[in-house]
Amino acid sequence: MAITASRGTRAAKSTRIRGRGAINSHSPAHRHDGRLAWVLIAPALVGFVVFFLYPTLRGIYLSFTDFKVLTPPTFTGFDNFVRLFGDQVFWSSLGVTVYFVLLSVVFGMTISLVTAVVLHRLTSNTVVRGIIILPFLISGVVAATTWSWMLDSQLGVVNMLIEQLTGEPILFLGSRAWAIPSIAMISVWKSMGYNAIIIFAGLQTIPPTIYEAGRIDGANEVQMFRRLTLPLLRPILAMVLVLTVIGSFQVFDIVAVTTKGGPANASNVLQMYIYDKAFGQFDFGYGATMSLALFAMLIIITFLQMRLMRASESDTN
Amino acid sequence: MRTRRLIPALAVLALAAPLAACSAGGGGGDSAGGTVNWWTWDEKQAVSYKECLAGFEEENPGVTVNISQYGVDDYFTKLTAGFVAGNAPDAFQNSVQFFDAYAKQGQLEPLDDYISKSDYDLGVFNVGVENWKYTDGKQYALPLDWAASAIYFNEDMVTQAGYTADDIASMTWNPDDGGTFDQIATHLTIDENGVRGDEPGFDKTKVATYGVGNLGTEDYIGQTTWNPFISTTGWKIGDPAAWATQFRYDDPEFIKTMDWVRGLSDRGIAPKLGEFTIGDTEQLGSGKVAMSSGGSWSASTFAQLPGLEVGIAPTVLGPDGTTRSMMSNSNGNEIWAGSKNKDNAWKWISYMGSEDCQTKAALQSGSFFPSIPGAMDAVAADQLSKGVDLGVFVDAAKNGWIYPAYPSANGSEMGTTIQPLMEAFFTHERDDDVFPEMAATSKEILAG
Repeated sequence: MAITASRGTRAAKSTRIRGRGAINSHSPAHRHDGRLAWVLIAPALVGFVVFFLYPTLRGIYLSFTDFKVLTPPTFTGFDNFVRLFGDQVFWSSLGVTVYFVLLSVVFGMTISLVTAVVLHRLTSNTVVRGIIILPFLISGVVAATTWSWMLDSQLGVVNMLIEQLTGEPILFLGSRAWAIPSIAMISVWKSMGYNAIIIFAGLQTIPPTIYEAGRIDGANEVQMFRRLTLPLLRPILAMVLVLTVIGSFQVFDIVAVTTKGGPANASNVLQMYIYDKAFGQFDFGYGATMSLALFAMLIIITFLQMRLMRASESDTN
Repeated sequence: MRTRRLIPALAVLALAAPLAACSAGGGGGDSAGGTVNWWTWDEKQAVSYKECLAGFEEENPGVTVNISQYGVDDYFTKLTAGFVAGNAPDAFQNSVQFFDAYAKQGQLEPLDDYISKSDYDLGVFNVGVENWKYTDGKQYALPLDWAASAIYFNEDMVTQAGYTADDIASMTWNPDDGGTFDQIATHLTIDENGVRGDEPGFDKTKVATYGVGNLGTEDYIGQTTWNPFISTTGWKIGDPAAWATQFRYDDPEFIKTMDWVRGLSDRGIAPKLGEFTIGDTEQLGSGKVAMSSGGSWSASTFAQLPGLEVGIAPTVLGPDGTTRSMMSNSNGNEIWAGSKNKDNAWKWISYMGSEDCQTKAALQSGSFFPSIPGAMDAVAADQLSKGVDLGVFVDAAKNGWIYPAYPSANGSEMGTTIQPLMEAFFTHERDDDVFPEMAATSKEILAG
């Protein structure tokens, strides 16, 4: 084995050497390749610097300033961060957002997974798959407006059904208890199809021979789902989870259309609060501070998720 | 070799083209010569004021006007971006909510010199001038329009309940028992078994028709909801009225009024907060509500409700039996301090502030009330011929029932801070203890 490995390494080295020689930039034919390479990556690089790197660095700088947008920023050190720690509305908004994320992730992942498995097992019809993804294609504002009409406690079709069953309507978007669960339901409805299709694609990568082996070993459907399907889907589920968590933390349009953060801040998610501070009250410095805090939280959460779920590894190897 | 030289050139061109596109299409900052850029968020006013263009351009040869309209949700963000980028419009429509923020940061041009140089008479307006005076005593806008509130009612429901339009127009109110307004609203309320709100056996949990729409929170000034009631007692929100240093939320009369408003929902006479997600016209149109306290801007929409006769009555008479009170807000027509075309911008906004232009524009759509009495009369007559009686609002302006929505500092922060507290009160999360907190908070925000 050692000999084989050594031979392999030597072979690789010689390939690399040959390879380097083959694209030697000093040869007359490739003398200008470096310049051309820079030119070709320039659009992406400029886009990255102008639309990502500079705004991020500028945002970090502004979070240390008092910036009302129409007058130059004034450096205030850690004042905004001290204010952030004492801002009850910020912490309450963070709590509301985390509650929303939990509901969206738990119900969103479960429903998407079940839908994907059902699709995988029962149909190969592309029309059905197309219909499943339809809510994702609808604009968030349109979905939120339509749902707010359907959930209206006096005139909405959902409450008409509920009233016939229970005799009592539910103030879905107008009560403290129901506001966030209702918004999470709309969000799950909208994103479920997209997530289901991604998971469905993951299911298609699992070789049928694995299930055949499972059946030969006497495993039933539930056991095969738990012991085979779920572990093999882990990288896909990890990706869907990370995307759902980040997307849920950034929820804005559904809240802005349905409740505007009410009643009494019950659905005042962090993005809503940041938007109001920055664009409503022109307090861009403090808005940048809150955005930076959210950015840091998302990085930590995503990192933990990736580590805990070993997202970059697959059990298929 | 040619190809190799061509690639970098094309790449540079590809990069430069979008950047060039970004810098094109600027607003007023770039406008040279005689083009005045004017912005509004109201699509109807954008069309209406085009009626004035021919007359203006005839009076001012060489000066042209470019009218742009952006949806209200994006309007102020776009305007602010224009200030920052230096390409804001030369003149624009503004809301009093953003007056302080823009004036404080030097974005608005004071109009006093233009007014005196051109002998422009501010007396041509009967409402709105006071709304646009800043703390430095200078005038920063000409009023573009004005608005007030009224009580809209379902005529059939009122008749079936045994009332006439005159009964609705002469309703009295006081903070102790709600006066005849409370009695009428209670009688107009019907539960699912057909029992009226003032009859034995009324089930407040199963209301088919509410006597009145929600008078609870909408905004921190309650312009179309609780304000026309409490202000008949002499209470006004600001202390002092213009550029207040505190809002009088802790006044005992105010607290008593809020308790009465909340009681209407508790008794099943008005819907609870959040019960409807639709607007007041839809509530009245669906037959779920018999009366609604709403803005004057809704008059033509109410009149167009299919299969429904909607009456318009003035707001209630106060405890003294004679006082009516409606808060009137006016949008302003302003000049950007950074404009390179201020003189022509002044020519345009002062032309818009003429009776001739206001009449032409307001008649075109009938969607807004001009601040000039002659133009308002023309609009009222025109709307009457179309079946919409605006007499209530004409009377309100002429009889002094309206009072200005005075500007105050940090309107946006006030809204987002006070509204949740109001909502907490109306949903019974908090009680009367919320009002001293609201007064103290408003003081801090107004000082900020």
